[in-house]
Amino acid sequence: MKNTFHGGVHPEGRKELSREARLRLFDPQGEMVFPLQQHIGKPAKAIVKKGDDVLVGQKIAEADGFVSAHIYSSCSGKVKAIEKRRVLGGGMADCIVIDNDGAFTPAADYSKRDKEANLSPSKILQRVQDAGIVGLGGAGFPTHVKLAPKDPEAIKYVIANGAECEPYLTCNDQLMRTQAPAIVEGLELVLRLFPYAEGVICIEDNKPEAIKAMKLAAQGKQKISVHGMITKYPQGGERSLIQAVTGVDFPISKLPADVGCIVQNVGTLYAVQRAVLYREPLFSQCFTVTGEAVAEPGNFFVRVGTSYAELLAACGGIKEGKEAVKALAGGPMMGIAMGSLDVPIQKQNNGLTLLAEDPVVAAEKLMTACLRCGRCTTVCPVGLMPQLMAEAAIAGNLERYEKKLYGLECIQCGSCTVACPAKRPLMQVFKHAKAEIQEQKKKEGGAGK
Amino acid sequence: MNGVLNLSSSPHIRDKWTTPFIMRMVALSLMPATIVGILVHGWQAFGIVALAVVAAVASEWVFNKVCHKPDTIWDGSAVVTGLLLGLSLGPKTPLYLPVIGSVFAIVVCKGCFGGLGKNFINPALAARCFLLISFANAMTIKPSLDAVASATPVGALKAYEQIDITKMFLGTADGVIGSSILALLVGGLLLWSLDIIHGQICFSVLIGFTLLIGLFGGEGFEPRFLLAHLCGGGVVMGAFFMATDYVTSPVSRLGQFIYGCLIGVLGGIFRLWGNTADSFSYAIIIGNVCTPLIDTYIVQKPLAYRKIGKTRPVKREPFRIPKPVIALTIIALIAGVALSGVFSMTKETIEKQEVFKQSEAYRDVCPEAKSFEFDEKAQEILGDEGAAVGDATINACYVGKDADGNNVGYALSISSKGFGGQIVMALGLTPEGKITGINFTEISETAGLGMKATEPAFKDQFAGKSGTLTLVKGAAESESEISAITGASVTSGAVISAVNAGLEFYDTVLKGGN
Repeated sequence: MKNTFHGGVHPEGRKELSREARLRLFDPQGEMVFPLQQHIGKPAKAIVKKGDDVLVGQKIAEADGFVSAHIYSSCSGKVKAIEKRRVLGGGMADCIVIDNDGAFTPAADYSKRDKEANLSPSKILQRVQDAGIVGLGGAGFPTHVKLAPKDPEAIKYVIANGAECEPYLTCNDQLMRTQAPAIVEGLELVLRLFPYAEGVICIEDNKPEAIKAMKLAAQGKQKISVHGMITKYPQGGERSLIQAVTGVDFPISKLPADVGCIVQNVGTLYAVQRAVLYREPLFSQCFTVTGEAVAEPGNFFVRVGTSYAELLAACGGIKEGKEAVKALAGGPMMGIAMGSLDVPIQKQNNGLTLLAEDPVVAAEKLMTACLRCGRCTTVCPVGLMPQLMAEAAIAGNLERYEKKLYGLECIQCGSCTVACPAKRPLMQVFKHAKAEIQEQKKKEGGAGK
Repeated sequence: MNGVLNLSSSPHIRDKWTTPFIMRMVALSLMPATIVGILVHGWQAFGIVALAVVAAVASEWVFNKVCHKPDTIWDGSAVVTGLLLGLSLGPKTPLYLPVIGSVFAIVVCKGCFGGLGKNFINPALAARCFLLISFANAMTIKPSLDAVASATPVGALKAYEQIDITKMFLGTADGVIGSSILALLVGGLLLWSLDIIHGQICFSVLIGFTLLIGLFGGEGFEPRFLLAHLCGGGVVMGAFFMATDYVTSPVSRLGQFIYGCLIGVLGGIFRLWGNTADSFSYAIIIGNVCTPLIDTYIVQKPLAYRKIGKTRPVKREPFRIPKPVIALTIIALIAGVALSGVFSMTKETIEKQEVFKQSEAYRDVCPEAKSFEFDEKAQEILGDEGAAVGDATINACYVGKDADGNNVGYALSISSKGFGGQIVMALGLTPEGKITGINFTEISETAGLGMKATEPAFKDQFAGKSGTLTLVKGAAESESEISAITGASVTSGAVISAVNAGLEFYDTVLKGGN
């Protein structure tokens, strides 16, 4: 264990805003909106229709194919409509809208622990798939797909990602402090799928209480170890963690499983434990509402489908004397800027950050020409040369960008953009170049047919 | 939600580092060299640096206005360019040169190529070379700090032993304004420890240069020889402040290493086989123009492609000494060495001055002598400690010789206890034992009283006397009497006893000898 990775940046953590707020369950009122796509892969297919009565934990949409995930209702009530609604990112998408009756009547008893002690790997996997679990770290990749690599015996490490390197967010910290035994249990369940794997729990060292709690919970478990990692963004990135734990770097064309690793967010492991041992499908996850513009920042178990605006109102709304200039779904490093808060929280979302000042606006005023200082190269966790990449991309030399500079390896963590003293919008350039190259490839592929 | 929310692509935060911050830090790290330069070389040096900076900023402002470009003087890069140019000029440079140089640097080298980040050579360096070529006479530094560099190579290599490295190190030698190696190192290492400049550039420049000079300089790796070369001719300034310029150096680590070695080796070649004092500037400029080539072909691969399939052994991160600690240690070491250098330098001077004063005093009391030699017989008795005679101590005894080597008299150094401390005096005697004169080399008696001992009225009484002298108040009446200084009987007594001791020493030791 190196406890850290190559490169990286040290953005201001600002976790003190919500660090000590206990996780609490939030029960929303009014209608709940469930987009049919809350994961990577094919959208789910709705299996309810307008007017149907639904209960908490009832399946309302079914996975379409293997790389997809079921969707469960997080409230009880009546299906109001299945229609296009505005979702995160600004676009319109198919959603199931449920009129919440406020009773939250469950479809089954989720507090009863399953008596079957020795579940077979295939049964564990089945239950994970049935629960519609996706990666709760942000990407939303269906977990059952990730847990079913070609060769389970080749997996050497199952890495529990509790790094939470994203500034502001604290819900994983709280989850580890309060639900440590459940997370460790979730990790043990996952470890059962991989006979030769060892469980490694990685937590950034700015969360000493969480490390303590997890160490306590993992005590005596032979295959599980807890490690404090150096606090540095993007420590919680899949590749950064694998690099830190195993020392292996791998190209973007490969998956973690190809190098013998499975990385799971601690929130996902908690969901796995709930799903396998309590048969509770994924309809809620931990979530942070924070930022300088929030009156009372907090950590929640939030129900999928809750409106961001409603949750913010539960946090006292906007702080007096402050103005929210930017709302982010997630933290400031990877978060998506929101135009409106009237969109539903999806499975893979883990935070709402309301900024009172927009550093991007301030940075734009300070922008100068590129100095070629090389800070971007120093901080790139992939080992790319963002300065030369941007030069090539702006000059339209996409061949150099892709072939010589390996521009497509960019994981879009944004470290270069944060570090740039000239405040150049590097990552935006890379996103654009990547899209352009993919477009070109598609065209070439089409011409080939 | 009253206002409209800002939308932008992630990431939504930025580092505190900005272009002006970096430029401010570079300017700050140049301050020690600037201050030392101004202290050593005076107001003209200040004028040169100030004019270079002002002209650089002003020409950038004017250039942007004329070309309808956005104002960029606030980014601070013009200040750094002006400062670097000013520091690389000689302290006696006519004041119009820094102005011309700055305008050339900003307008021709930077502005015309597209401004900050687009210039292909370091503007300050280009301007310096421009001035060197165009105003060769006015730019020459005389007498040169670059004795090493400016003399013919063969002469220079022989001359290194006479070069005062300590002076070069402190910047008190003649040279460009920013020639204090100590000050430059302090600034350069500060920048390196803050990760503002790339260590692989500055250290590979120094290593490449040292290796070449050591291998082909003909003196091997003789430390004094290498130090003389490293301290002269702008090598340190070039390595830390010129070659590391972001815009004109490669971005990959390997590229930076190659670039640094190229500059170091070229600088060494020019130094050994070229014939100009400013060869290092040209070496850096050649490095600058190679940068685009290096950047095109030498790019680093992503980590994953550097070692496919290989698994690094899983181990703990080794403990690394933080860079600032290294930098501070180096600075402390350098400062320590420099200070001890100053001490040994001044100590020598003080000793030399003492010896000089003594010999002056001897010449004074024994005017016929052309040179002095130790009287061996006397010295045997005196030893290192001297010999006590009565209240006084004989410290040393010299024999005065004329041009032909004949004995023309004796000079003794005698000390005795005065009123205000030790009195050390020189006593001159003829070979026959007659006093030729006395003089004081160390005396600190009461002003107006005891100090009257140094006045001729008292001193001159001794000439021609011999035997044992006695002190009287009022006027002296016999041959062996000396009139005391009124109100300073202790001083008078001390002098008399010292003189008597000298006479006694003559009678017992010197008389009839030689």
